[in-house]
Amino acid sequence: MQKKSLMHSAINSVKGNLIIVGIVILIIVTSIIEPKFLTLGNFENIIRQFGVLIFVALGMTFVIMGGFIDLSVSGIISLVVVVMVSLVDPIGQVNAIIVGILIGLACGLLNSFLIISCGALTQAEALFLTYGMGLVYAALALMYTEGMTIFLSYAETPITIFNAIGTGSLGSIPIAFIIFFVCLVILFIIQRWTYIGRSIVLIGENIVASRLSGIPITKSVVFIYAVSGVMTAIGAVNLISRVMLASPVIGGAIGGGYETQAILAVVVGGTAMSGGRGSVLWTVIGALVLTLMNNSLNLMGVSSYIQMMLRGAILILAILLDRQKQISEGK
Amino acid sequence: MPTIIKKIGKRIRSLPNAFLAILAIFIVMLFSDTQFYSSYNLLDILNSNSIYLILAMGQTIVLVSGGVDLAIGGTMTVAGIITILLINSGVPIPLAIAVALVFGAFVGAINGYISVYQKTEPFIVTLGMGVILTGVAQQLTDARPISCSNPLFLRLANYRLFGQIPAMIIVMVVVVIAMHWILTSTSFGRNCYAIGGDYEVAQYSGIPVRRLKALTYVISGVTAALGGVMLSSWVNTGNSIFGSITALYVVSALVVGGTSTAGGVGSAIKSVLGILLLGLLSNAFNMLNIDSFIPYLQQALQGLIIVGILWLDSYSRKRKRENV
Repeated sequence: MQKKSLMHSAINSVKGNLIIVGIVILIIVTSIIEPKFLTLGNFENIIRQFGVLIFVALGMTFVIMGGFIDLSVSGIISLVVVVMVSLVDPIGQVNAIIVGILIGLACGLLNSFLIISCGALTQAEALFLTYGMGLVYAALALMYTEGMTIFLSYAETPITIFNAIGTGSLGSIPIAFIIFFVCLVILFIIQRWTYIGRSIVLIGENIVASRLSGIPITKSVVFIYAVSGVMTAIGAVNLISRVMLASPVIGGAIGGGYETQAILAVVVGGTAMSGGRGSVLWTVIGALVLTLMNNSLNLMGVSSYIQMMLRGAILILAILLDRQKQISEGK
Repeated sequence: MPTIIKKIGKRIRSLPNAFLAILAIFIVMLFSDTQFYSSYNLLDILNSNSIYLILAMGQTIVLVSGGVDLAIGGTMTVAGIITILLINSGVPIPLAIAVALVFGAFVGAINGYISVYQKTEPFIVTLGMGVILTGVAQQLTDARPISCSNPLFLRLANYRLFGQIPAMIIVMVVVVIAMHWILTSTSFGRNCYAIGGDYEVAQYSGIPVRRLKALTYVISGVTAALGGVMLSSWVNTGNSIFGSITALYVVSALVVGGTSTAGGVGSAIKSVLGILLLGLLSNAFNMLNIDSFIPYLQQALQGLIIVGILWLDSYSRKRKRENV
């Protein structure tokens, strides 16, 4: 009897993590077929690719855990990138980065202000509002540069920080990775051991019950979107350090750029789309397996179009599996 | 005398906000020295918004039933590409269009099955479906625009009845009337309002909620495919980038018109007003050449207007909640 239940739980855990199991199999197959996959150069490549996505996804984890969503991150990335790069010469690189992160923060605060002021406390309402704000941020980026691309490599003042983030490493660890690790630790501490972190999870679980038990909803929503804005801005710093140019459309189309990938990473990691269950650590795993998947599919020569189809299919599959999990938990 | 004015004032305030906004645009444009009031321009506004209007009709019934379909952009794009590819390979035009419409119904059925029968959040599932369809469109065309070799297909949307009225407007009007009829005069339409208003109550009153709600997604898929066929015939091109923001634009426009994303509220007429309002606004901005003052200002204003109206929609619901 006990043996049977052990089998059962083993099967269940495979079922629950079907996507991750599938991707791990893909990675093993790739490493057998394609010896290039396991080289040090490719590994460093993966960590650098991992860069931009993971910062956005970490912020998005808080948003989704709280039962909300943020579709404005593509717009925020575009806006932060163009303003930051244009300010490098006039006010120096350190100030430019600070201004960039403050813009991310301001965008996040503006999102949360709009959401709270009209009482949009469902995910669908937040989705449309942040989508509209994303359009505004993207348009502001275009207005700011009049549609032009600015090149960071033409800067006359030193851009050592960007170079360090883009290519530098401390010992053998890329600096981008260290920044990521610091962010992860801070967010994990907030999520696990602070009042606000636990409030977010409770709000995602049941917003009405949270309100009735006196959990500060307004404060938590402001915090959620502020974190998302700041993390997106840090992701943007990473992005320009790698590509060295600021295009006002670098974030991609609103609703089809970084946000879809970030949501994918969060959901594949196992954070519930409906809120209330999740962790930044799971998101790291989600983002890592997705990056590995992209990398191995690239090495196998799978076209980017098919990869796109696969991403959409995985998103739907992840939500279906999450739903199954909820049903089996009796929700 | 003052009572009459009061009555008229009350009458005006009871009109849909979108209608008043459209009136305001027409009044403002009276004072501008542009070609806004030419019959060519007014007809062109209708014609170029026909595609959105066709898509909006399917979206309306989905929103009324309490769902949302963000895959319509992808469905539109792929349906147009399928039609062109089939015609280019020698399939007769009516058959190619039929295949595209069946494809739309098929996508809608999948969306309906996953979101209704599996009880998942529709917007994120259909967003994922949109990503898949964009991938399919890119795969089919190698991410390059393709054009149709049969000139007859081009005439489908560009034909003008009596040399005046574009065929696309006629198709659009037929779809709008059909949807208006479904929503107001059939039991299916009435049941959709019941489902969107309160899913559980509708279920207990014996309405086959799941089947009907899933059916709305099929309808939305078909109208999206029809829009895709008309679009590719109009511009004689199938392109994988066509539908990238269509879905969110259409849903925002419907909310602007007075359909609620919470379900149970909306009508075909309101949706038409919403789409026309955004269309007129962008036309007026173009006419006034607003981008010549500050480049890309138009895009920012459009985003702000969408946010403003969505904000008002949620805010009025909050007020209602608090009053109850």
